[in-house]
Amino acid sequence: MSDGDPGPAKPGSVRARTAGRALKLVKPIAGLRRRGNYLYFWEKRWFFIAMAVGVGLMYMPTPEGLTSAGMTILAMSVVATILFVTEPVPLPTVALLIVIGQVILMGIESKEVARSLMSDSVLFIMGSLMLAVAVVKQKLDTRIAWILVRMTGTKTSRIAFGIALVSGVLASFVGEHTVAAMMLPVGITLIQLTSNDPKKVRNLAAVLLFSISYGCSVAGIGTPSGGARNAIMIGYWKEFFYDPLNPESFQYLIDYVHWMMYAYPIFLIQVPFVTIILLITFRPEYKDLSRAVVKLRAQVEKQGAMKAGDWVAILIFFLVLLGWIFGSAEYGMGTIAILGAAAFLIAGLVAWPDVNSGVNWGVVLLYAAAISLGVQMKDTGAAAWVAQNFLDILAPLGMDKGVGLWAAVSLLTTTVTNTMSNGAAVAVLGPIVLKLAVVAKESPIVLGYITAVSSAFAYLTVVGTPACTIVYASGYLKTTDFLTVGWKMVVMSTIIMLAAAGLYWPLLGG
Amino acid sequence: MNDDVEDLDINDPEKPHHARFRILVCIDGSDESYRGLRYAAKIAKGEDVDIVLCYVRPADQGLRSGGLQMDVARGNMLEWGLELPGLTYLKKGRDLLMELGNLRDDWAEQAFHTDISGTSLGDNKIDYTAKSGKKIVLKLKVARDVVTGILDQWELGHYDLIIIGASARWSGKGLKGFFDPAVAEKIAIHAPCSVLVARDLEIGHGHLVCTDGSEAATEMIKKDAYIASLCECPISLLAVAPDVESEGEARKTVNGARKLLVDMDVNVAETLTRVGNAVDEIVEAGPDYSLIVLADGGKNGLERFFVGSVAMKVVQTAHNSVMVVR
Repeated sequence: MSDGDPGPAKPGSVRARTAGRALKLVKPIAGLRRRGNYLYFWEKRWFFIAMAVGVGLMYMPTPEGLTSAGMTILAMSVVATILFVTEPVPLPTVALLIVIGQVILMGIESKEVARSLMSDSVLFIMGSLMLAVAVVKQKLDTRIAWILVRMTGTKTSRIAFGIALVSGVLASFVGEHTVAAMMLPVGITLIQLTSNDPKKVRNLAAVLLFSISYGCSVAGIGTPSGGARNAIMIGYWKEFFYDPLNPESFQYLIDYVHWMMYAYPIFLIQVPFVTIILLITFRPEYKDLSRAVVKLRAQVEKQGAMKAGDWVAILIFFLVLLGWIFGSAEYGMGTIAILGAAAFLIAGLVAWPDVNSGVNWGVVLLYAAAISLGVQMKDTGAAAWVAQNFLDILAPLGMDKGVGLWAAVSLLTTTVTNTMSNGAAVAVLGPIVLKLAVVAKESPIVLGYITAVSSAFAYLTVVGTPACTIVYASGYLKTTDFLTVGWKMVVMSTIIMLAAAGLYWPLLGG
Repeated sequence: MNDDVEDLDINDPEKPHHARFRILVCIDGSDESYRGLRYAAKIAKGEDVDIVLCYVRPADQGLRSGGLQMDVARGNMLEWGLELPGLTYLKKGRDLLMELGNLRDDWAEQAFHTDISGTSLGDNKIDYTAKSGKKIVLKLKVARDVVTGILDQWELGHYDLIIIGASARWSGKGLKGFFDPAVAEKIAIHAPCSVLVARDLEIGHGHLVCTDGSEAATEMIKKDAYIASLCECPISLLAVAPDVESEGEARKTVNGARKLLVDMDVNVAETLTRVGNAVDEIVEAGPDYSLIVLADGGKNGLERFFVGSVAMKVVQTAHNSVMVVR
């Protein structure tokens, strides 16, 4: 570098600047050191680790009580779980790998694998996602917001409770992601109309936004259409225990109303606790939101009266709901969901490009593959083997039956669901838990409900539930906020669920 | 000046301007990132320094939002007339630069948009250009993850310095955060240029330049002399000797570095030597200065990760800001 000549010494000298510029000649060398191949391997390291683990498991001597096919499917499940949690490759890739693995490693005929991918649960997931986009596009959120504040008044605590309850009731039928996407602007508008400085409304923002996400999360278990995991569990019950020739097995065909009787009260009881926990944890800066409510009213009035299209949308939605309640036993929940999506498209209330870009089809594929893997876990006996071993671990702790087992299953599900989406958690754990019930001579229905309900307890992380992820996108919340309030929610929900399982469900004859 | 790089991004509006010093400030809405921006503004007082503010939004993974694309929620926010957080953060950064006098109303403004598959919003960029050619750019980027986004942005612009806050907002979420290093650390490991990891960054306390007398350290001192001259920060030199016997060696190293700086017409505020573990001593001496300046050991990213270097350990453990120069 040509910078040796002395001159007048002071910081900011022209000479030093020239020297710095000359140093830019180093650039081409830096260019050679640009992100090379090592970064690729570094970014994908979990993929290679997962594959190595899979190969290692396949070549391990098969443990006693497990068939070699069972070992293969178990290895595939472990690999898939590692990939779900660490996400080194786009997640739909995992679905493709599962399909490939089933054909090549398991030697199942490709026709069979293809058939096992589609089921009523998968149709339901697909249909309800399309419905979700259609419902969000109807722009009914301003109306809902207005009805909400008219009912609750302007006190912050009452608005928070109202948001949690309204989000919850809606989410229990249309799915938590739909309602979170609809209500998020309502929450942010109320926050921004109160103050433009995010620092001044930090706690208020936390209370209102968490009211949306936790309201949706606790409600997602309310009805079968509340979330993919419910449909997956219903599918597993039927797949595992239903036998058309045995009338006794008909109790494993769970319909819409039956599910609601078990789960809806759990959701309703949780709502007031959600509000109390949020208000105690965050203590909002403003006790009254009259200013924001007045401005919100002005915004809603600009929209004018309800249009014919709005009424048609509401009507279609209620018909779908009635279809689920009365027709799902005969036609399947999936059929009714796609019927609803078709109705929205025929009525011209939503455009296909909107539906097409609003649904992540990779997720549908992923659920399809995960359920197919779960069914294979049962068929090969791998699920029963894992269940037996899990039970052997629990037995010395006295948790191999009754409330102890319920708590163990709930804890396991809560742990898994906080690391991946709750639908994936149920798809992975469902077969094991249902076999666990069989081995432990417990009711598969009760343990199945406990798994499905516990999978909603993903309050601790941003990625746990769709509602949390969507609300986090507002930019108002920190990841640590989820931990601060989430553990209280987990404790509250677990207690309420176990109480329901012990005191309420027996009354239903489950 | 150097034609080798020139043809890399010839058609790109963000192609490198080699006569200019370019700073990439990563904005994530945290206080740390705005402190970093203030520091960038201080360096960028001159006409030959550009600032690019960049917010990276990780692309959606779909599964996390239950199969409903996040864009549906974002689109709904936009229809309510609400701004998405990234844009709000960048605008706040722009207002800060206006307030500091780095950007004025009479600059030419130009907006660009690039479609990115898989998202309806794509990359968005606003250029502000002064008559002298000085530029301030706001960039909203969509990438697979934040680290990839920032490194990709470097490929586009070949920046001389990346400033990133050591804040939590961008660090790994959920379980991933436990086994993935924070974004700022990853950038410090992988970026091909100098990286300033801002942590309680305060202007006006000078640079603590740590040298071990190696060739890399000498290059680093020359580069830092340039950066310090831009922001008119005083420079202090520090060498750490592993034991008492070699303290004389350390003293010689500092004096050599001092001579180098004096030859470049740069004032040296003080020279220090310490005895002990290099990382501990540097971290301990750090908080009296605006930032600790270190040379990157010259290893490549993989070696840096596995072997670790003094620089990376200081980045991880320091209480204040650290600049890794390369």
